[in-house]
Amino acid sequence: MSTLSTHPSGTNYLNHTRGIMSWIFTLDHKRIGMMYLCSVLLSFFVGGMLAVLIRLQLWSPEASLFTQDQYNQIFTLHGAIMVFLVIIPSIPAALGNFVLPIMLGAKDVAFPRLNLFSYHLWVVGALVFLLALVTGGLDTGWTFYTPYSTDTDSAMGGVIPALTAAFILGFSSIFTGMNFIVTIHRLRPPGMTWFRMPLFLWAIYATAIIQVLATPVLGITLMLLAVERAFGIGIFDPSLGGDPVLYQHFFWFYSHPAVYIMILPAMGIISELISIHSHKHIFGYKFIAFSSIAIAIFGFLVWGHHMFTSGQSSLMNVIFSFITFSVSIPSAIKVFNWLATMYKGSISLNTPMLYALSFIFIFSIGGLTGLHLGTLATDIHLHDTYFVVAHFHYVMMGSALLAMIGGMHHWWPKMTGKMYSEFWGRIGCGLVFLGFNLTFFPQFMLGSQGMPRRYAQYDDYLPETVQLFEFYHQLSTIGSLVMAAGFFLTAGYLLHSIFFGVRAPANPWGGRSLEWQCASPPPHDNFAETPTVGDCYDFSVLEWDEKEQGYTWREDVPRPGEEGTG
Amino acid sequence: MLMNLFCSSPLLAAAAPRRGFWMPEQASTVSGEIDSIFMLITWISVFFFVLIVVLMGYFMVKYRRVEGHKSAASPSHNTPLELTWTIIPVIIVIVIFYMGMTGYINLRSVPVDAYEIDVTAQKWGWTFQHPSGAIETETLTIPKGRPVRLMMTSQDVLHSLFIPAFRVKQDVVPGRYTYLWFEASATGRYDLFCTEYCGTGHATMGAVVEVYEEDEFEEKLEELLRWIEDIPEERLFVAGKRLYNRCVQCHSLDGAPGIGPSFRETHELWGQERRLADGRTVTVDENYVKESIIYPAQDITEGYGNLMPSFRGQLRERELRALVQFIRHLDRFDDEGNLLEEWQ
Repeated sequence: MSTLSTHPSGTNYLNHTRGIMSWIFTLDHKRIGMMYLCSVLLSFFVGGMLAVLIRLQLWSPEASLFTQDQYNQIFTLHGAIMVFLVIIPSIPAALGNFVLPIMLGAKDVAFPRLNLFSYHLWVVGALVFLLALVTGGLDTGWTFYTPYSTDTDSAMGGVIPALTAAFILGFSSIFTGMNFIVTIHRLRPPGMTWFRMPLFLWAIYATAIIQVLATPVLGITLMLLAVERAFGIGIFDPSLGGDPVLYQHFFWFYSHPAVYIMILPAMGIISELISIHSHKHIFGYKFIAFSSIAIAIFGFLVWGHHMFTSGQSSLMNVIFSFITFSVSIPSAIKVFNWLATMYKGSISLNTPMLYALSFIFIFSIGGLTGLHLGTLATDIHLHDTYFVVAHFHYVMMGSALLAMIGGMHHWWPKMTGKMYSEFWGRIGCGLVFLGFNLTFFPQFMLGSQGMPRRYAQYDDYLPETVQLFEFYHQLSTIGSLVMAAGFFLTAGYLLHSIFFGVRAPANPWGGRSLEWQCASPPPHDNFAETPTVGDCYDFSVLEWDEKEQGYTWREDVPRPGEEGTG
Repeated sequence: MLMNLFCSSPLLAAAAPRRGFWMPEQASTVSGEIDSIFMLITWISVFFFVLIVVLMGYFMVKYRRVEGHKSAASPSHNTPLELTWTIIPVIIVIVIFYMGMTGYINLRSVPVDAYEIDVTAQKWGWTFQHPSGAIETETLTIPKGRPVRLMMTSQDVLHSLFIPAFRVKQDVVPGRYTYLWFEASATGRYDLFCTEYCGTGHATMGAVVEVYEEDEFEEKLEELLRWIEDIPEERLFVAGKRLYNRCVQCHSLDGAPGIGPSFRETHELWGQERRLADGRTVTVDENYVKESIIYPAQDITEGYGNLMPSFRGQLRERELRALVQFIRHLDRFDDEGNLLEEWQ
């Protein structure tokens, strides 16, 4: 059957057409996904280098490398780049774009032109963001809190370009979400009922709903802010009759759900990785699927927990605290289900699986420290300290981004048609894991001991305090260098694999979802005819083929759609 | 720099409680309760974390892929089991929520007889005003064993007042009052931080909380009111040096331009014309310096922005005069602000 051919003969999506224009104006979801991936990784490099600069500055208590103003710009750029240009588009737009239509057995997303437009908007957004740097810089923090950001005497000149960039990037995100919702509703192949979808698709679906519903609120908020800054119309600035706390409500009404735009797809990837690399049926499929939807819904109702010290009423704080705890339950369910999936499995400790296991380790810490922050009495002490910094890096970086890196390793053979070095892959993962924990675990103690966020220096306080802070900051800085080494190593062997890697089989890991049933790399239109699917977590139909160096369908088992027809 | 200010008795340091591994000194009446909630959550977290990681590690080793071994059949779901690990966490988080809520209600319920201090935040410093009218900026002097309520507002952007040893924090918002309260339970000196990002000087916008026994506190308070009155008129420039700690973030003494012009430059222009941003000129004299402190937007020096907040109402007449004298007689100080020998 041609759709299932494992020998890539002739063309694939990479060499289907040639020339730079055939990439820039491609409508192929795979090429768009790859362009997103390159752009996101480039942004990740820039944001990561800024992070290293932050860590180097904090090695010693006094402002040693940068002035306060320079440092304030560096952490602002680090945050804004990592949130808007890296984490939000990383899994849905880069990996999702590549994998989602193939997982559905479709030739493309529902609206290929809109998909390309999303990517072009991303590029325009990134360029406009650069404009912020040349029009005076940006030092507001990625949160743009008012009245600091609207006061032209306080914040540097790049606020309006940066707002415009975030506004444009928001539309890119909305269009991607819309596209995925429609694609999942309309383009599922025969046999794929909602409860037969790979869990990655459930996660992307839940994410897309948040992208479509929450992002417009961010767009409106940023526009109000720009109007206030440009024309002095009082909305948030109390000296013009506005209310600065209102801005925080608007901002977090998007930005809290945005946290789930980042973590939900990551959880989806982990569900795939754990099940496929354990060669075992996912445990509790429906609980995992529904927990994604539950997180998407509850995620809209907890924004106030970013504002426990903002001056909002005590009653609201109590209500937000209560709802916040409800989000912890579906997350806990997923972790237990992943563990149960591993139980009695046959676990291949491949690089993607090592990333998945790192995810469970790191996400457990990130999730559990969320309890300290959701609890009112303790959050008052911990709010806006390094405890929060450590917590959200454990969730966003250690969980969301490492899941993305894990997913990239998982689908790398499919995307490039090449295998990378498992040996270096495992070492890279180990370095990143160790470096990550050494960077961020000390920050929990740093925060609970009182070190506030966004400090360019910390030499101006009681000597005992400064000494303690310095100790933890130095641990953290060492960790960040280890992590950077891990990422450079990873970049090195992945690039090496593109040129010198072994040709990848169609199904190197033993996955059963549809992307593993088309060639690596896939042909231009994925499947010659729409395949029929069965239970994508039933791996008993696959067996290792020594000649192929990959998994193939067992001869004695009929394929779905072929049963009964003989 | 901050620490040397208002030299305190050596006894204070000896009486101070110790830092823990997680939390700083317990120096307020609520810190014990908050720490026990923190530790309870931490131990619950440790329990679940160890459970997850031990299971994960065990499965990793026990069920690792070996040649010829296939994954064993086991159920792909088990509703009672899944309900168990849904319901147990629900019960645990409800208990945690409840403890956090009651602890928080304590934090927000101010005792009626609280000692009230007005707090004004501005870029990048704090002004604390006692009921007696005594004002301090680098320190916050409070009594042990008496509830203290801070009524806070900001002159410009958001700030947040955080005293880790007391486990209290509250944003300070322009255009409205916010409050927090605490009752110090141990004498000593503790850090006070700004925890809401407020721009250039955010990282140095701190102060030291000094907690004294009641009788010593009354003395300190008296001294806060009196210190400047005790300095003879002809030595008032020395008092100005002490007040300069409010200005140091933006105005240097060595002639280097900062966020604002150096006081050395202002001093050297004394009696002469200074060019302003709007093209006017102004004569640098007592009036100009005083006006610039109270109405900073009025005369912006050429090359600088309108960044200085007004200090109207935060400095008494004699304090203003002390600052004017300080700048006028800056030749009596070296570039570090030390009084030259012949003037000591």
